[in-house]
Amino acid sequence: MFGKWVKRGLPVMASVCVLMSMAAGADAKELRVLAWQGYADDDWVKEFEAKTGADVSVVFIGTDDEIWAKIKGSEGKDFDLFAVNTAQLQRYIDAGLTTPIDVEKVPNQKTQLPIFNDLAKVKGVMRDGKVHAIPFCFDSIGLIYDTNKVKTPPTSMDVLWDPQYKGKVLAYDNGEHNFSFTALTLGIQDPFNLTPEQMDAIKKKLVDLKGNVLSFYSTADEALQIYQSNDVALIWANYGQQQVKAMKDAGAPIAYVNPKEGALAWLDTWALTSGVEDKELAEEWINFLLQKQIGEQLSQRTGFGNTVAPSANAAPDDKLIYLEAVEDPTKRADLWNEIKAAQ
Amino acid sequence: MSAVLRQSGAWPARIAVFAYPLAFILFPLAAFLAYSFFWTEHGTMSYALTLGNYQRFFTDPVFLPVLWQTCVLCFEVAILTILAGYPVAYFLAGLKGRKRYVLLMLMLVPLLMSYVIKIYAIRSILGGNGVLNRTLIWLGVIDDPLTFFVFNLNAVLLTLTVLLIPFAVLPIFLSLERIPRNLIDASADLGASAAQTFLRVILPLSLPGVVTALTFVFVLAIGDFLTPQMVGGQSGFTFGRIIYSQFGTAFNWPFGAALSVILAIMVIGAIAIGTVFGRDRSAGR
Repeated sequence: MFGKWVKRGLPVMASVCVLMSMAAGADAKELRVLAWQGYADDDWVKEFEAKTGADVSVVFIGTDDEIWAKIKGSEGKDFDLFAVNTAQLQRYIDAGLTTPIDVEKVPNQKTQLPIFNDLAKVKGVMRDGKVHAIPFCFDSIGLIYDTNKVKTPPTSMDVLWDPQYKGKVLAYDNGEHNFSFTALTLGIQDPFNLTPEQMDAIKKKLVDLKGNVLSFYSTADEALQIYQSNDVALIWANYGQQQVKAMKDAGAPIAYVNPKEGALAWLDTWALTSGVEDKELAEEWINFLLQKQIGEQLSQRTGFGNTVAPSANAAPDDKLIYLEAVEDPTKRADLWNEIKAAQ
Repeated sequence: MSAVLRQSGAWPARIAVFAYPLAFILFPLAAFLAYSFFWTEHGTMSYALTLGNYQRFFTDPVFLPVLWQTCVLCFEVAILTILAGYPVAYFLAGLKGRKRYVLLMLMLVPLLMSYVIKIYAIRSILGGNGVLNRTLIWLGVIDDPLTFFVFNLNAVLLTLTVLLIPFAVLPIFLSLERIPRNLIDASADLGASAAQTFLRVILPLSLPGVVTALTFVFVLAIGDFLTPQMVGGQSGFTFGRIIYSQFGTAFNWPFGAALSVILAIMVIGAIAIGTVFGRDRSAGR
């Protein structure tokens, strides 16, 4: 009964329930999950409960900071596992709030898409030879182009600087991401840790980009509206497939591509807390969610890419560069203002 | 007895009268002022006092030019709203009876609409293939879409003007309405033409209203960051947008607070100038 309320995502009720379930003692087969909306849907939870006889309680979170508050706040004791992106994951590992996962207990991990199944190549999920998290879902920041206006499908973000699209480019109003993707376009290896010289070069390049840009947008809705009442050929797609879907629903003749120099992407993973009570059950949960059918449902329902079944978010040989904390966000924001103020 | 009652009854009311502006106006302003002397490093706030934020404002080549450009823009907006608003106010003031107030109310109806919705609407009018361009092409006036009002400072100018016209009409209307009818009659009796009456009687007497309108619109425009953000494109960068950015990704609240304090000083200055020049000179007589 309590479980049902928790799944509806009432945060206050949820924490009360967690406390109550803790007070009730470690009853056999209980799983406490902290997840984003869409990562633990009711039908999956019911199926998992029926299969394992366990009682699953899910708490949904809305921001990265909320996860940190809940996991760090209880030193990992309030939950068995949680969903977190690879950039954020690092501070949990640093603080010893994770428990390494026994990949043997997650056999479906072997069936993950080629870009995910070799965990050693997925940056951020392993440390010191131990697996701290298993990739679950992702999205890329690629390029949307109007197929009527851009005849040859672009392969690189370079095309945003192409003078033939002057005034037909929509870019995103965020210095941090813009520095990262421009770094990749310039062939810089580590776009998240830039030297001052690299920053200067990128700044110049972004001032050039400004000349080609019609406007900088903030939300996916806004980009769509600008697209509809203006001559727009290229959009730097911060919202990835969600944005693609919204535009296609509106009847826009567009296509999506991840640039060959590497597309920025976020990757959410499942990690076990340091306070995990039933480790095998938690691993079984991850294994359960890594089924093809659930992956397909996830992509269908959220527009995010899943890690087991192919989706439009990434082609098999696309290069994804997972977002990391950048060297100095304030510096990037200041430089971004200078770029916007440049004449 | 009654005096005592009034006295005792007045205290809670008096406290309320002072508490409200204190809590909701003075305290936030003071907090801003205080924040402007702090600083941040790598996303953490330091509460050691510094003048660095203000120093940075005056030495960094970015901020002063943008502030200047924004002031010029907002002054232009103010002038445009007056040019557009004065005839409207004049027309309204000339109407008789109920009609005048009904029309005035109608003119204020747009103020009931959400600001964001109005900007969105204007954006689809001004777009490269927006309503305006398509109409002009359909009429055969132009062959290719015009771009001088698409995502640039001109678009900001136009949008702000359209949005703020009611704030110019109201004070001008009020000052026109206050002109005694007999002054205008006297002017006519003494043989002045309609134009002479307007230029030498009505216009001078309505100037305080014009100055108030100018101040109103300038102050409202300079604090706006949403309009430039949404229609300004890559060239319509204003001071409000810089302040806004300090509270978002930059996470530099102290610097944002310092910039806000500077803007607040500008605004107070503009209001002070408006008060001096907008003083009703007939009031003393």
